[in-house]
Amino acid sequence: MIGLDYVANAVVSGILIGSVYSLVGMGLALIWGIMDVINFAQGDYMMLGAFVTYWAFTLAGVDPLLSVPLSFLVTFALGVLTQRVVIERVLDAPMVSQITATFAVLLMIRYGAEAAFGPYTKRIYVPYADVIYRFGTVSLQLPRLIAFSVSLGVAVAFYVFLKTTYTGVALRAVSQNRMAAYLMGINVRKMYWIAFGIGVGISAVGGTLVATFLPIHPEMGGFYALIAFIVVVFGGFGSVFGAYISGIIIGVTESVSALFISPSLKDVVAFLLFIAIILVKPTGLFGTEQR
Amino acid sequence: MLQFMREGLSGRNGQYFVIVAAVMLVAPLIFWKLDLPFAANAMLLCLMFSIMAMAWNLLEGYTGQLSFGHAVFFGVGAYTTMILMLYYGVTPWVGVFVGGLVAALVGLALGVPLFRLRSHWFALATIAVGEIFKLIFISWDYVGGSAGLQSPIVPEEQKLYYLQYAGSYVYIYLALGLLGLELLVLYPLVKSRIGYYLQAIREDEDAAMSLGINPFKYKMVAMFFSALFTGIGGGIYTVRFRFVDPFAVFDLISVSVYITIAGILGGIYSFIGPIVGSFVFVPISEYVRVYIVSRFPRFYGLHVFVLGVILLAISLLAPEGIMGWLEKRGYLMKGRETGEVRKE
Repeated sequence: MIGLDYVANAVVSGILIGSVYSLVGMGLALIWGIMDVINFAQGDYMMLGAFVTYWAFTLAGVDPLLSVPLSFLVTFALGVLTQRVVIERVLDAPMVSQITATFAVLLMIRYGAEAAFGPYTKRIYVPYADVIYRFGTVSLQLPRLIAFSVSLGVAVAFYVFLKTTYTGVALRAVSQNRMAAYLMGINVRKMYWIAFGIGVGISAVGGTLVATFLPIHPEMGGFYALIAFIVVVFGGFGSVFGAYISGIIIGVTESVSALFISPSLKDVVAFLLFIAIILVKPTGLFGTEQR
Repeated sequence: MLQFMREGLSGRNGQYFVIVAAVMLVAPLIFWKLDLPFAANAMLLCLMFSIMAMAWNLLEGYTGQLSFGHAVFFGVGAYTTMILMLYYGVTPWVGVFVGGLVAALVGLALGVPLFRLRSHWFALATIAVGEIFKLIFISWDYVGGSAGLQSPIVPEEQKLYYLQYAGSYVYIYLALGLLGLELLVLYPLVKSRIGYYLQAIREDEDAAMSLGINPFKYKMVAMFFSALFTGIGGGIYTVRFRFVDPFAVFDLISVSVYITIAGILGGIYSFIGPIVGSFVFVPISEYVRVYIVSRFPRFYGLHVFVLGVILLAISLLAPEGIMGWLEKRGYLMKGRETGEVRKE
């Protein structure tokens, strides 16, 4: 029999890792919701964020927390470039071209990084990596706690951005009705650049946070991209805030199911959950009916 | 079937077919005489991916169901052939076909839930299914877990029974035979009423349904043959490489996506497009992998990067693929089954 303290620990660590899943999922949901394009390369932009952090730390000694804006800006710029060179040209193409185009971006980023950085697993040793707080039977690792706080901060900042700034409102307008937004004088093309840039940038922040407590490698994006799909599907098509909540739910599901079945099968549970959800309710828990 | 062969072999396209078939039959002999193991291996992989990409295209090009999960059928076919050979001493002459059938049954079982999904939801779910199979096989001890299974080298007199030969030369004929079998099965199928039902489903599922076509039923038919021949491709992999492990055979990139790229490069609205795509794409990939990456191991991963560039170029510049591009330029007689690139 598994004790209650184990379950409590699993729930807490699930919430903490889930907050990172949330960020990757939010980025995917933003791009999906605004442009109706599924970015298969989402996890790989996250990997780039992790590697920006790694190199900033290794070469210049920049603390991972300070490199959050850096990794956001680098991937934002790359995202805008991707949008201009690739995505713009397949926006109105058949579905299969959209999927293969973003898949091509995935292959180029993931294996370009592998060729450039080497296929080896890397790790950042932050000075506070081994600081652990204990609350009764629940123990918290400081880097994970920081990751959770930063993730929450980013989510709140993003919410405020969408609700209060002109760009945020324009983004929402474009996602609701592209043509109407265009007629109201919104530069749709520029909004798409911004949407893709922010979408991959937020995921890159997730990469930065992961790099402080988990090993990183160029192929890590594959796993997180799948998780991000689950998060988006669970949270609802294009619903950015549904994605935040569902990221945490997925994290908890995964870590709790690891208690009851073999840890190597814990991801199977998440993937089965994914298929079950799209079968039962493709619009997700927080989504609205589409089409 | 004979009528179809006569029909298919008449005319200019038929002459091309005979010439290409003759070249394919002679090529391994030339490779063997001149001792070109790399060329022979590349040709075998081209044929293997031709078989699988054609099977994949029955689902994507004809039925409009984009699958990123064909590694499941490839892996199941490869594992079935291996297990029959290793645990039960069944000859791969039979095992390859049993592997295909098991893969087809898995395909039917997966089709029941998956075909309730449309467009990108289907594509996403197939990726998840592929990962699930990989994770299950990694932790399943009966099939060797993450270490995989390896078949031992057999004595000289059992070589024919266990299909064990040095190099790829003999296997090329095996793959050619199976590709021929696939052409004989799929060509009449897509020319039959079913082939047109599948295309109707691809173009507009609701309209097809209103005309009395049961989309689920015919998608299952497409899935059966698609999984069958992909599983047979897995069987060829097993007899050639004598080693299967979950990371290699259930890999999203090097199996599912390879098949997809080969199909799309050749042209998904053409019957033989996937074969053309495989014969263009696999040699490039193999050349970069074997010559460039092995010379500069520091740049491991470069070969897949090159694939990304190729895939991006097709997606942006020629989404109709090589065959579609040639047809548009008037270099080929227009096949009856090909049409305009569909809008969503």
